Amino acid sequence: MNLQIRSKSRDPLRSRSEIILRNTVVASLILFFLAFYFIPIGIAFWGSFHLWNPLKGQFRYTGLKNWHNVLNNQLFWYSLKNTGLFSVIAVLARIVIGLLLASALFSRLVKAKSFFRTLYYLPTITPMVAVAFVWKNMYDPQFGLLNQLLGTKINWLFDGRYAMLAILLLTIWKDFGYAVVILLGGMYSLPMDCFEAAEIDGADACQRFFGITLPLLRPTVLFIVITSFISYFQTYIPVMVLTQGGPGTKTQLATYLIFDQAFSKYNFGYASAMSFILFLLIALLTALSFRASGRKEQ
Amino acid sequence: MSKEQWKSIGLNAVLLVFSAVTILPFLWMLASSFKTNAEISALAQRFLPRNPTWQNYENALNKMSFLRYFVNSLSYALVISLITIYTSAIAGFVLCKYRFRGRELVFGMILSTMMVPGVVTIIPRYSMMQALGWLNQFQALIVPSLFTSFGIFMMRQSCAAVPDEVLEAARIDGANEFYIFHRIVFPMLRNAVASMAIFQFLWAWEDYLWPYLMIRSESKQLLSIALNMFSGRFSTDYAGLFAATSIAIIPVVLCYLVFQKRFIEGIASSAVKG
Amino acid sequence: MKQFTRRAISLVLTLVMALTAISAYGEGSAVIGSTIQYDPSKPVNNGEDIAIEFWYWTGADKLFQAVVDEYTAIHPNVKITLVENPFDDYWTKLPLALQEPNGPAIFNVHNSHHENLIGYLAPYVIPVEDLEADFVGVSAHIIDGKVYYTDYGMMTATMYYNKAMWEKAGLTEADIPTTWDEFREVAKKLTIRDENGNLVQAGFSFNGGAQGDVLGMQYQYGQNLFTADNKVTFNNDAVRSVIQRMKDIYEVDGSGDYNFGNNSGDNFGQGMIAMYLGWGFMHGLFQALWPETEFGSFEIPTPTKDVPYAYHRYNGESTFGINKNAPADQQAVAQDIVRFFLANDALQKQFVLANSVFPAKKTLAADTDIMNVSSIAVLAKHIDRYIWPGPMPSAVENNMKIAIEDIFYNGADIGTALKNAEDTCNMELEGSEFESVEPSYAHASEAK
Repeated sequence: MNLQIRSKSRDPLRSRSEIILRNTVVASLILFFLAFYFIPIGIAFWGSFHLWNPLKGQFRYTGLKNWHNVLNNQLFWYSLKNTGLFSVIAVLARIVIGLLLASALFSRLVKAKSFFRTLYYLPTITPMVAVAFVWKNMYDPQFGLLNQLLGTKINWLFDGRYAMLAILLLTIWKDFGYAVVILLGGMYSLPMDCFEAAEIDGADACQRFFGITLPLLRPTVLFIVITSFISYFQTYIPVMVLTQGGPGTKTQLATYLIFDQAFSKYNFGYASAMSFILFLLIALLTALSFRASGRKEQ
Repeated sequence: MSKEQWKSIGLNAVLLVFSAVTILPFLWMLASSFKTNAEISALAQRFLPRNPTWQNYENALNKMSFLRYFVNSLSYALVISLITIYTSAIAGFVLCKYRFRGRELVFGMILSTMMVPGVVTIIPRYSMMQALGWLNQFQALIVPSLFTSFGIFMMRQSCAAVPDEVLEAARIDGANEFYIFHRIVFPMLRNAVASMAIFQFLWAWEDYLWPYLMIRSESKQLLSIALNMFSGRFSTDYAGLFAATSIAIIPVVLCYLVFQKRFIEGIASSAVKG
Repeated sequence: MKQFTRRAISLVLTLVMALTAISAYGEGSAVIGSTIQYDPSKPVNNGEDIAIEFWYWTGADKLFQAVVDEYTAIHPNVKITLVENPFDDYWTKLPLALQEPNGPAIFNVHNSHHENLIGYLAPYVIPVEDLEADFVGVSAHIIDGKVYYTDYGMMTATMYYNKAMWEKAGLTEADIPTTWDEFREVAKKLTIRDENGNLVQAGFSFNGGAQGDVLGMQYQYGQNLFTADNKVTFNNDAVRSVIQRMKDIYEVDGSGDYNFGNNSGDNFGQGMIAMYLGWGFMHGLFQALWPETEFGSFEIPTPTKDVPYAYHRYNGESTFGINKNAPADQQAVAQDIVRFFLANDALQKQFVLANSVFPAKKTLAADTDIMNVSSIAVLAKHIDRYIWPGPMPSAVENNMKIAIEDIFYNGADIGTALKNAEDTCNMELEGSEFESVEPSYAHASEAK
């Protein structure tokens, strides 16, 4: 993996304070992540070779059975396909909407900045139970607001053609605020003189955005892309509250399946095997994102 | 009107339309918190309550030790946010600005922990806390959150924007690394700190399953768990839930307002002036 | 005449009960109960102070508070801390807590989590014969001669109908259907469409969550849900006929539509649909949320006029569990609370009414207040013809949900969808220790 951040190489001579700081931080990191992440992850991995239900104290070695079952589970592969499609669209939407709104809010032309920013953050902070209730009402086939606005008669949550779209809409709506907050933070950190110089040069808003803002924001955008991919690949709450994977299996996402196996069927070994396959996919994707962004910089 | 003014009106109009979309479900919830459950479940939906009532708020406040939970949640979220901001910044700094063997490996490992669904690790973690005898103790909530992969990643990305020349100059002036991090780099990370504070506070505030499994006694209960008590086996008390939620999100909004205004926007104005 | 006798008996019984209750609380020492008896004058824990935790899930605070209040009024030396839990995650936290020495001594049980809980339960000290003398349905809960929890009530589905719509369609009491064919005719009469053919009022709707009922209606054809080796069977004639009939009610009769409301229970309350097959708890929900909708109930129709193998599946509402890992003195108190609860008809009645379930306690079978609840009353005639398959793992219902949604919404073929669901379910059940109790049903020999 090439996760390097390019910083100019500096004098190889290190001060005592650097060595102390470095060793303390790295040692605590290793210790912490080992204890609270790698050991539990290791146990879960070991559990994937077992018939494992911790709630009744069951932990029986079954060899590769769970893995074999997962690899032969068509629904799991189907859910991975769904997950991939879902994540790509959700990440794209998050970035595009985030960039649009953040630039608009950053613009001198907008006065009521605090007002808008607060409104845009409301979906992010409203708890999912409340949000789900309201959205279910909006998706109602007879009386829903969405059908009234669009003049349609779609049964959003039970029509296989639209159910995934319905989940996507809710997801995008719920957390575009994340991108807006981080991008705005990134924009306000950019050196102001670049903008002023560009404006004097007569570049218009569009040129300024693509010529200056976007390239300078690349590390921030990369951060959002990667964290979003990681979290969207593990989406299950919108599915749980809206469709439970239905109609049929049309909106099954991988982590919903994992959650269902673990906390409804108490089949933790099987859920673990699925989790590690998902993990491999996410890791691969993350590595690719880093590499892609690294190459452009060179 | 000048071209600039037209642009401004256009831009504001777009933002306004967008905010209508974002705020509608929220307003719906707020309005519903003044309705009865019968009105909420009725076929004929009205946006505004027919007979506005404070009853749901009274019930919410009476039903549970709302204030106690509120204070617990507030202290929990504050402590977590403060600690993780600091640990993330210093770890991000070390992993970004120092070159040493295994750096990428350490960072890669940290990042990879975000990619394993928490669903399957939560039980092993529970067993660890049990073995340590930490069940029902606040440290079971705090210690496993001392570092966050998300924060470390964010700070590492932000540190990349701090020019190496600044650090070199300080070193030439004889500053040690502790001074450089605390006095020079940390202030430059202000915006990342603000963004992180906003999210970390929210996530800690909403955190539910882990605290629920850890905390046994009512006196240590968090608000997020109490909010989950409105969903019964057969039905959800939406009126009560909406009322409690409307109060519960106030600290999150305040946290957001403070950090957006003071930190993110603040640095810009000072940068322009300077 | 028969009815009069029954009423008279129930009246006498109620009077006796009321008198017992009055004397029990009047003197604070009288023994309550019939076979299982509770003597309030007997001290608990030798009268010394003791504190225990009692866990329950949210939504039932008044009921559990009542148990605690009445019990601690008799035994002030016992301090009971009620701990409320969210329903969904209770089932994760409770088994984990029961692995420890300081878990709750007594807790609320739901039989769907039997497998995860049974290993932590202590058997009731009350003799099994005493339990069987006072309660029905105990036999299904006997494990190696011991009972760890049993039912205080049985919940099942009945047909709810909207009285105003019934009258408006010119129907009377005499039109209450007993067979599915009659039902379909009534449903047609209760359906209203506008001039464009759009549904305005559905005669019947099963939208949203019909899997629970599909898993019960195959019994009407004498078909068990599980095979002798505890495998689930979905893809059989009985289930196929049940689903085909549901399709026909919508697609042939036009008495409803898959897209006319997504939650038939809510939609019934809201006055969109005229008839709805719902479980007992809906009775209370209708009254609370849609007080303007006047409704009645009738028993679920059957394929023919004959009494079927079983009308439907029921599920028991469980009595409390006792933690076998709790200290002995706490367990003793918990056992005493269970005895108090089982012997106490007034408390039994409260629990039964709160969930609209058919009482398992024999002394309450004819209770007038309980029989005033229409959805309970209609069960009385054939209550022995409702079957409990045992504590089904959630995989059974989950996979049936997928199958019927695939059939109703995704256009899948009935046989294929049921076969897929059956295969997946049996694979998921491989690690489970579930054993069907269908063989212990009173009429088990009549099964196909």
